[in-house]
Amino acid sequence: MSRSANQRSRKMLSCTAEATAYQKGFGKRLKKRVVDDREPYAIVQADVPHEIFHAMDIPIVTNQWWSAYISAKQLSGAYFDAMVAKGYPSNGCKYCSLGLACTLANDPENAPWGGLPSPAIMVARLTCDCIQNVFGMWAKELGSELFAMEAPAWEHKELDWYAHSRTEWERVYQPDRIAHMAAETQELIALLEERTGRDFDMARFVRLMERINEQEGYVWEAAQAIGKARPSPISIAEQMPNTMIPQWHRGSDWAVAHAKKFRDQVLERIERGEGASENEKIRLMWIGAGVWHDPGFYQALEDNLGAVFVWSMYMPFAGPAYLRDLKDKPLDALASRICAINEQLHLPPWMNGWMTSEAERCGIDGCVMLLPPDNRLSQSGTNLTALALEEAGVPVLKIDADMVNANIWDHDRMVAMVEGFVRERVIG
Amino acid sequence: MIAIAGPNLPLELLEATGRFAGAVPFDPQRETPVASQWVENKFLPWAHPVIEAWAAGEYDHLDQVLFSRADDTSQRLYYYACELQRRGLIAGPEPMILDIAKIPRELSRDRTIMKLRELGERLGVGEDALEAGIAKANAKRAEPVADDPRPVCVLSGTAAPDHRLRDAIGATGFATLGQTVVEEWLSLGEHVEQGTGDPFAALGRKLHHAPSSRSMADRGEMLTRVIKEHAAKAVILWRVEEDEDQGWHLPAERAAIDAAGIPGLVLTRRDWLARDGAIDEITEFLKEVQG
Repeated sequence: MSRSANQRSRKMLSCTAEATAYQKGFGKRLKKRVVDDREPYAIVQADVPHEIFHAMDIPIVTNQWWSAYISAKQLSGAYFDAMVAKGYPSNGCKYCSLGLACTLANDPENAPWGGLPSPAIMVARLTCDCIQNVFGMWAKELGSELFAMEAPAWEHKELDWYAHSRTEWERVYQPDRIAHMAAETQELIALLEERTGRDFDMARFVRLMERINEQEGYVWEAAQAIGKARPSPISIAEQMPNTMIPQWHRGSDWAVAHAKKFRDQVLERIERGEGASENEKIRLMWIGAGVWHDPGFYQALEDNLGAVFVWSMYMPFAGPAYLRDLKDKPLDALASRICAINEQLHLPPWMNGWMTSEAERCGIDGCVMLLPPDNRLSQSGTNLTALALEEAGVPVLKIDADMVNANIWDHDRMVAMVEGFVRERVIG
Repeated sequence: MIAIAGPNLPLELLEATGRFAGAVPFDPQRETPVASQWVENKFLPWAHPVIEAWAAGEYDHLDQVLFSRADDTSQRLYYYACELQRRGLIAGPEPMILDIAKIPRELSRDRTIMKLRELGERLGVGEDALEAGIAKANAKRAEPVADDPRPVCVLSGTAAPDHRLRDAIGATGFATLGQTVVEEWLSLGEHVEQGTGDPFAALGRKLHHAPSSRSMADRGEMLTRVIKEHAAKAVILWRVEEDEDQGWHLPAERAAIDAAGIPGLVLTRRDWLARDGAIDEITEFLKEVQG
């Protein structure tokens, strides 16, 4: 069963098309460096310190970006089937394994870039029971090596971590966790220098960290303004690319300039009183990764119900998760960013504490929450967050769907489900 | 009293407290209407009856429950238990976690040792007491195992909820090599070095190295070793739907079974309580093996 309308989402900002075009161009440039020029490169998870690679000018293919790329080409179903044909169970975690599935399928004629060449290194943080297996096997298939990073236990808990994460990060993220992550990062730097012949320049890294603060500051400012504005000037279909695409390139001149432009365009729309929908009546929150294979899903209920998705995690997360005062300890500041980037989105009390606060800040009327059926990490924290939101007066709809697996996505059914929820629980 | 809810924990240290209560008791078959509101369905199925029992006050006699970062369900449940207590939804013992780092790297090993020392301090166990605990556990490890003349069937994969699979295997004339969840949690594992002058480091090294769902051990090799050591005559790979770790090793394990030249039965995505006909499939398979 696979029915995806794959409708294009409606865009309001000129910078959205620019971001998409930049990413398309980046894809071509990355392909040239990785495939044509055979530069040493890395395959990495989204929650590892990309900043180190950027500072060393080492090209990276991010697993989640690569998955979305494969998924957008409607190849996910075929590659997951190929993985099952190789003897793996069909219920393996889909989000992180599509890249491995693509490699296992060995389909150079259809695979993006003809498939990935052997990377100099692969890097993943061990945030679940799957990832060391997925990356370990993928590294073996590609003739590479996995550099794994720990996801240490977090015993110091602050419900309002988001209010202190920029300035009090030593306390919020627990000193021994930060020290461990920083030490691992130093080992990673040494390994990268050895494998790629490129040097790590601390001054360049510090400059990058400062630029990232500038970039994420613009996004944070826009997120604050969107939370207050009625109607919302843009929907999440525009928030996601304008946050995520620059975030893949964080700290670069383009990314900082784009974030500034995005903020300016958001503020201009607010100033003019323009909304994502002319008919905003219901403000919805989306919890979960983006449904990349059906971007039109998010705007399907704007016209007839005035239900607008105004919140997804990507944009508001930029401030609390990324902004860090460097305090002359840039590697520690980076470690504090990385050592919790996943936990804050998937574990209590950080997830429910932040999302409940965000719902209040943004005047949310209802929440739609994604529960991927084969992924404990993505499911994790959702029930307690739903409970907290409901207690705060925000009705929640949980839907079983996978963000990359188009095989189990039915656009019409999903839209009907959300419509029923809005009519019964939000308007009702 | 302190109990555990997870694998790969320092039983020697816990015994040395004089307050060790073993694994948290739970009934795998109980209905879990309360816990299922909070704990998602992809957690290993022992998580739900544990939280149900906790919510029902059945652990109120305990002072602490120790969770393990060597297992994803266990480590996540630690955060859930903390949050449920913070919100007043459950009471009972204090949840604790031992941050066992499994990456085969000095940094991870040293972190495990550091966290073990902190746990010792917190529970009032010093070096002498731990050394004695290690000696006691090693003595247990060295106890002879009674000979079982029956052919061995390896039951690998997800740790079973109780003895139901083992009983089915036993009924066909085989001895079972496999553990229940609680047996896995209480397994002493490999020998720990004695007389090193630093028992925390010795035990920490063992915890860091021991295989678990988060370790990077080669399961195909592990299965091959077990088959050889016990001259196994059959293998059953049994995995539940919620098991996120082990499915990734299936191709390597199939290859290990093929290489050993013994019959194997692969049951993946199964029901933890074996209500899906697994008992009959196991019985039929082993009867065929017995010829």
